[in-house]
Amino acid sequence: MTLKPPHPGSLVAFAILALVAGGFIALATVDGGTPTLLSIGPYLWRVLAFSLIQAALSTVLSLALGIGLALALARRRFPGRDIVLAILGSTMVMPTIVAVFAVFAVYGRSGWLADALAVLGWTGGFSIFGYPGILIAHVFLNGPFVARITLDGLNQVPAEHWRLASALGFTPVQIFRHLDWPLLRGELPGVAGLIFLMCFKSFAIVLALGGGPGRSTLEVAIFEALKIDLDFGRVAWLALIQLAICLSMTALLHWAFTRPPVGHTIRSLAHRPDAKDRGLKILDAVVLVVSGLFIAPLAFSVLTGLRRLPAVIDADLLRAFVTSLAIAGAAALLACGLALALASAARRRRIVLRSPRSAAFYDLLPDALLAVPPFALTAGLFLLIRRFGDPSTAGLILLPLINGLAAVPFAYRYVAPRLLTTEERYGRMAASLGITGWSKLTIMDWPVLKRPLAAGFALAMALSFGDFGIVALFGGTDLVTLPYLLYERLGAYRLDEASSIGLVIVLVAILLAHASGRLSDARD
Amino acid sequence: MLVIDNCRLTWPDFTADYSLSVPTGNLCAVIGPSGGGKTTLLHMIAGFERPERGTLTFDGRDLLPLEPAKRPVAIVFQDHNLFPHLSVAQNVGLGLRPSLRLSAEERALVGEMLDAVGLAGFDERRPGEMSGGQRQRVALARALVSGRPLILLDEPFSSLDPALRRDMILLVDALRRRRSVTILMTIHTPEDVADLADQMAFVADGRVVASGRPAEILDGALAPRIAAAVSDS
Repeated sequence: MTLKPPHPGSLVAFAILALVAGGFIALATVDGGTPTLLSIGPYLWRVLAFSLIQAALSTVLSLALGIGLALALARRRFPGRDIVLAILGSTMVMPTIVAVFAVFAVYGRSGWLADALAVLGWTGGFSIFGYPGILIAHVFLNGPFVARITLDGLNQVPAEHWRLASALGFTPVQIFRHLDWPLLRGELPGVAGLIFLMCFKSFAIVLALGGGPGRSTLEVAIFEALKIDLDFGRVAWLALIQLAICLSMTALLHWAFTRPPVGHTIRSLAHRPDAKDRGLKILDAVVLVVSGLFIAPLAFSVLTGLRRLPAVIDADLLRAFVTSLAIAGAAALLACGLALALASAARRRRIVLRSPRSAAFYDLLPDALLAVPPFALTAGLFLLIRRFGDPSTAGLILLPLINGLAAVPFAYRYVAPRLLTTEERYGRMAASLGITGWSKLTIMDWPVLKRPLAAGFALAMALSFGDFGIVALFGGTDLVTLPYLLYERLGAYRLDEASSIGLVIVLVAILLAHASGRLSDARD
Repeated sequence: MLVIDNCRLTWPDFTADYSLSVPTGNLCAVIGPSGGGKTTLLHMIAGFERPERGTLTFDGRDLLPLEPAKRPVAIVFQDHNLFPHLSVAQNVGLGLRPSLRLSAEERALVGEMLDAVGLAGFDERRPGEMSGGQRQRVALARALVSGRPLILLDEPFSSLDPALRRDMILLVDALRRRRSVTILMTIHTPEDVADLADQMAFVADGRVVASGRPAEILDGALAPRIAAAVSDS
């Protein structure tokens, strides 16, 4: 009897689980001891309460802004609507550290709002640190995301339903009840859960705008335990708690939210009969103006960097640019490779082996990676590297590795559905012809896979390029990325230079996200 | 009588100009090639498209100034006729009151109408639990319960198999005779209605090319063109 070699996807899944488990074990066993949970009790409760409250408030406010905006945009056609949609799309890929800059630039002590109020004679001053700044940044990043995903959903209401509503004489309330609400009810639990998860794990925004140790999320607390206190035991505890909460949330999301990632908004072919209602016209105008006043200044604040850009371009910036690009490229390559292997294993289990439960494990694994606290994993892996190799190279290894793992869920969503469709269409024919393994990948899969894979690569690269996470641990004279450089400039209150660096980051991220969208929409 | 006189609609890539008369109580089958303007004709009568010129009257009443909900018209589409979150009875009830606040009398009427289309006892089912033919019967019941005298059927049975399609057309014809409603129905297979329809209209390139008794249309000079249109669609 000969043993069949394991599927590459199974090996990849095992490697990921071993990596995470190894990192956590290294963290928990360092220096031979672990602290009791009680020793960090009051601190933990404070951090946990703040993480939950700010995430809940951010979610509610993002949903309110996003839903209002989506309904107004669904009902209205006006010149410049496409530009509004493009701006909403760009905030979705805006790196968090750039959002931090935007909050400083608009609402900071010497920001646009303070300048405008000073002109009006009000110099009372206000602080953006703590809840105000954190909520503004979270709502700025997530409100447009809700708006886009809801608008895409609203545009999927069949044209016949709009015509029926028109023929049956539905009032605006009845339209909301029978057309909008059934759709929102299906979408919102998943969207709300996703936003809550992202805000609960928020790092760069809370680190920069929290304003003190009392305003920490678990992620920031883990970072501080590592960077300031070097308390690995506390890191392990905090990481385990975060992992438990986020894994529960991820499992819930998986159950509630099965839609593919956001594509480009499809124009609805039928007119909404409620667009003529006078009350709704006024309401929509108010929503659009208020949202515009909130989003536009933040979105456009980096444009002020255009003026100073030539002066800021120096050897440091170019080196940081190249480093960011190289790390993002490596992370994206890793993310796509892992996603392809996992998706291929999921497909085999679902269709060939007819085992949907084991296929679901491969589907869940990429999303579960989002639940793993990156700082804790990094610290654990750093300890392993220190034990077996040269710790000075750890940053260069861990930065693309952790960023790559974080991008796997996004790449997976591009690759997995296409692989499944290809198998359903051509799988039996390939099996009858004996096309398997590498031949199957190159002959059957690659022609339909190359575009979604490229789209996943571009999106993974966009996310990694602007990420300010792990680099906060390793960044310094030897390793500087553009987001790290921006954080340094913000810390030194050099807002002019920060805006120019932010502009470069945003332009590259938008360019990559745009390429991803074009590639995913293109026909094979 | 439904009278459409020189109703013109223009888009950048398509122009339609319709003239057609259908006597009250008739079943008029609208046939023609795909993209020829059959659905646009029905959408114009229902009020979803507004002609830039021409007149449209039903029993002497001008329909053009009226919103879709105010027209004496009910419509059934090929698909997506029902709201999936509502029960069968609620979907039918929408034809009486969009607020769904029905009186006992109206609820009884909904039951009667479901009985008439052969769906007695299906009141609490959801559309997702029914077959394609049953869903179309529900849509038909809603069109009838509204009491509107002109019913437009936009390829309502084209996704059904031939035997079921014929059954549905027979049901439509029986209901039409019992309730004295006028019906315009777009259809891909003229032979399904040739023995039942009072009138047939051949629509192509945005115009009613010919209209008359089915035998005249199907066996006349247009026969080769109709055959080509049917095989195309």
